[in-house]
Amino acid sequence: MRPLTDTETKTLFTKLAHYTGSSLSSLLTPSTADSSDHHVFRIQNSRVYYVRSTLANLATSIARPNLLSLGTCVGKFTKTGKFRLHITALDVIAPHARYKVWVKANGEMPFLYGGHVVKAHVGRWSEDVPEHQGVVVLSMGDVPLDRG
Amino acid sequence: MPTKAKTGSTKGNKKRSSAPSKSGSGSGSGSKRPKPTSSKPTATQHKPKSTSASTSIKKTRKPPHLRYSEKELKIPSLNGIKPTGVQKVPNKKKGKIFVEDGEGMRAIMAIVMAEKEGDVESKMMRARRMEEVREAKKAEAEKREAGRREGLEGRKEEIRMKGKEKRKRRGVEEIQRLVEPDGGKVKERTSKKVKKRVSFG
Repeated sequence: MRPLTDTETKTLFTKLAHYTGSSLSSLLTPSTADSSDHHVFRIQNSRVYYVRSTLANLATSIARPNLLSLGTCVGKFTKTGKFRLHITALDVIAPHARYKVWVKANGEMPFLYGGHVVKAHVGRWSEDVPEHQGVVVLSMGDVPLDRG
Repeated sequence: MPTKAKTGSTKGNKKRSSAPSKSGSGSGSGSKRPKPTSSKPTATQHKPKSTSASTSIKKTRKPPHLRYSEKELKIPSLNGIKPTGVQKVPNKKKGKIFVEDGEGMRAIMAIVMAEKEGDVESKMMRARRMEEVREAKKAEAEKREAGRREGLEGRKEEIRMKGKEKRKRRGVEEIQRLVEPDGGKVKERTSKKVKKRVSFG
């Protein structure tokens, strides 16, 4: 487990910023005055984890080959240096999402089974969404389903 | 006189001999003894002194690179020009450089966010411009359609008017003919108007 290098950090943030707005910076700053709430990004076996700083410090006592995972897995770096987001990152992204699409109840299951979000299933959506922009898909009850 | 002197000498001897007697060397005869005793310790004392001094000098002597500066040696200066390809800083940290502090992370995030913001903004601008172009095209098409329709309507109206005028003119002409005293033509017309009849039996 180690901190990210500057290129890795840039790649990761570029990917995250595709889905989120300017509130992404609140990921790094603690929500309360308590310093234990502070979160950091750590990389282990090419996977990036979003971890509480106290937990990350504790994890240094575990040898690298023995440490399987910690915190929330955000995604992984490919061998070519690109970053792939995992579904586990949805909980990290969703509160800071800039563009959202709400899917009606009848469109939830088709979407979760891999189908497209058809126009008839869209309950509402954020205004002025530019083309090829990452969005977070939510159910009508504001439960994040996926990103697209 | 010599006897005095002898006595004096003995006195002195006695005095001198008193000192070694304290040390325990014994009370012996005469003036010969103290000489070697006095010379011997001095010789023995000198030797270690001389050796200790030489070692101390050796110890205190600095190594040559500290004794002389490079300038004093008058050595021609080295070629200190760095080739343009070589940019490696000596004593640089090996391996990866981590972004451990929050400040560095925040700085990178700010750069990334600004880039993304710019991208989104440009996309929005492009979309808005495209929308404007589309609107303008639509307005143009509508205008053309309206112009065409207007032209058609105008033509229709014109034709209608022409027909009306023709009819009107014809009616006026007929009335004139009917009113005219010269009935030759009217007769002709009336004769023309007479229907042919066929009667049987």
